[in-house]
Amino acid sequence: MTAPEIKPPVELVVASGKGGVGKSTLTAVLALTLAEKGYHMVAVDADAEAPNLHLVLGVTQWEKVDDVYEGRLAYILEDKCTRCNLCAEECAYGAVEIKDGKYVINPYICEGCLTCSLVCPPKAIRYKFRVKSGEIRVAKTGYGFTLVSSETMPGRPNSGKIVTEAKNKGKELLGPSGVLLVDAAAGIGCQVISSLTGAQLSILVAEPTLASLSDLKRIHKLTKHFGIAPMLVINKYDINQDVLPLIEEYAEKENIPIIGKIPYDPEVPKALATNKPITIYSPDSPAAKAAKKIAEYVADEVLPQWRTWWAKYRPKKPEPYVPVVLRPGQITSTRER
Amino acid sequence: MPPRFVVAVTGGKGGTGKSFVATNIAVLMSRHVELTLADLDVEAPNDHLLLGLQGLENEEPIAIFFPIIDYKKCTACGACAKVCDTGAIVMAKGTPPMVMPRLCSGCKACLYACPYKAIDPEGRRVVGYSYSTLVKRGGGFRLITGILREGEEHTPPAIVVAKQRALKETPSDAMLIVDTGAGTGNGISAAIQEAELVIAVTEPTPLGLHDLRAILEIARGMEKRIWMVINKAGIASHEKHLETAKEYGVEKVFLVPYDPEAAKIYARGTPVVEECPSCEASKALNEIAQSLLVEALEKGVRRK
Ligand code: SF4
Ligand code: SF4
Ligand code: SF4
Ligand code: SF4
Repeated sequence: MTAPEIKPPVELVVASGKGGVGKSTLTAVLALTLAEKGYHMVAVDADAEAPNLHLVLGVTQWEKVDDVYEGRLAYILEDKCTRCNLCAEECAYGAVEIKDGKYVINPYICEGCLTCSLVCPPKAIRYKFRVKSGEIRVAKTGYGFTLVSSETMPGRPNSGKIVTEAKNKGKELLGPSGVLLVDAAAGIGCQVISSLTGAQLSILVAEPTLASLSDLKRIHKLTKHFGIAPMLVINKYDINQDVLPLIEEYAEKENIPIIGKIPYDPEVPKALATNKPITIYSPDSPAAKAAKKIAEYVADEVLPQWRTWWAKYRPKKPEPYVPVVLRPGQITSTRER
Repeated sequence: MPPRFVVAVTGGKGGTGKSFVATNIAVLMSRHVELTLADLDVEAPNDHLLLGLQGLENEEPIAIFFPIIDYKKCTACGACAKVCDTGAIVMAKGTPPMVMPRLCSGCKACLYACPYKAIDPEGRRVVGYSYSTLVKRGGGFRLITGILREGEEHTPPAIVVAKQRALKETPSDAMLIVDTGAGTGNGISAAIQEAELVIAVTEPTPLGLHDLRAILEIARGMEKRIWMVINKAGIASHEKHLETAKEYGVEKVFLVPYDPEAAKIYARGTPVVEECPSCEASKALNEIAQSLLVEALEKGVRRK
């Protein structure tokens, strides 16, 4: 089959706000289906703090691993420190700890922002430079497409920057046309913001729990901010009949098309345990069939005319980001919304 | 004085059941001892939903430093832009600096770098809100919740502020249970910082195992005692998880079996240990709470 050439490339992000709702499982099926249908595609695992897509795709070897070095890590020269406590008071990250009466900086928390050394009267603070913050890895999957994966070192900040680099690598490998399929992290912080920046389409994954609904609303607010056209997939849709209608109502009200529902299926964790996408491990299982149908819909109905789709479902007015800045004396202000 | 006993529930991967474990343990333990639960998953706080709360109370803004520049004093020397690690200060040649609010982490480096004292030390930006709500479940306990505003991306400073509130509002003879977000970044390290004991919640899949290692790396590096909970036990083999537990010196491993009944109750927003005490999952959660209770009482946490 020959899929349409998509030029310039389109960015499709799978996101959920909450983790563990089946995002990587769906992304894997989507990737396989797009590849099968002849789409030129690169998949990017943008969950740099907990990258999983390579496991679902059975990748065991990387073709290329690039270390990412950046930032600084502060440390205190014990013999110079007068224990004035200023650094501890001023560190916004709370990274300065007092251990056995000595001031030490926790390397799993420090961002290297320089503040402590600027306030330290005896200049007792030094930095380690070129700290390894993570890796960008590339692999050819067994399914005929390339995966770019990112991983931060445990306890290191700036995963947003690594995600941006991983996406840039993906775009470079993709070239002037095709689909960049991005599996975003859980949450709404810097990694997710980097995942969404520059994307046109997103698939939001939710499950019928009140927790997931709450997280869906938050991630949707972000896609609105970035002017992205969302689609919704409800995973394990049959586990709760009371919450399901609440999710459907939200989607309806917010003009988010529901492009499919996947039933709860014990085959899914079994597939994960074997490092195979559900459609390969158990193609006839209900979850595999439902996921496949969704992937085919995206491949056949959404991507070939993604501009029309985008125009139809993108937010009419992007949700603005309005910072709440308080001038001195305004600290008691209450909520703005 | 910090609380007598601080325990952090974390796990690396999202959706393994951190909040499920934390809320249920809090309900069970609150019947016996004074405690506070802190939901520091500021990107996706759900504990109040799992506890079926109607609303959150006692709102306070999470206000972090934000540089407000007095352009009458500013000489456009560029020192602030030079130290700003996040690229939040932009300066076109010869013009005074401009601060991009979203990029700013509130670190104050610019404040201390400015030679002309042109930056106001009292400027603040609200990146989220924290709440303190009395939960009338179990024996009753306080829930502190931190919520990041949508569009803000600097999570760790927000976590630090919410955590400080939780520490402040927990009596020194009580215990504090911290529920962290997903991931393994420095925001998670900040959330578990005061904890003596870290409970790593994982699930029996290779995905769970992969992320578990990263979180154990942090917990061990920060010299924490570690317990492990394998949630949804039975859906796949957890042999490798047990090996990993040994490798990292995990003191205790608990298995919470996969329980469809518990999953349904979870979806509705009620703690399974109250709704279905005889469920398999509840029995396992009870076991964890009992073990924690022994520790808490040894440390002199106030009984109810
Ligand atoms: S460099 Fe910044 S984050 Fe690190 S200890 Fe100093 S003030 Fe804290
Ligand atoms: S500011 Fe400098 S002297 Fe003061 S406690 Fe920190 S490291 Fe020691
Ligand atoms: S507070 Fe820190 S991040 Fe914000 S503008 Fe100043 S130096 Fe940059
Ligand atoms: S360091 Fe102070 S004086 Fe120099 S550009 Fe920045 S605000 Fe202006």
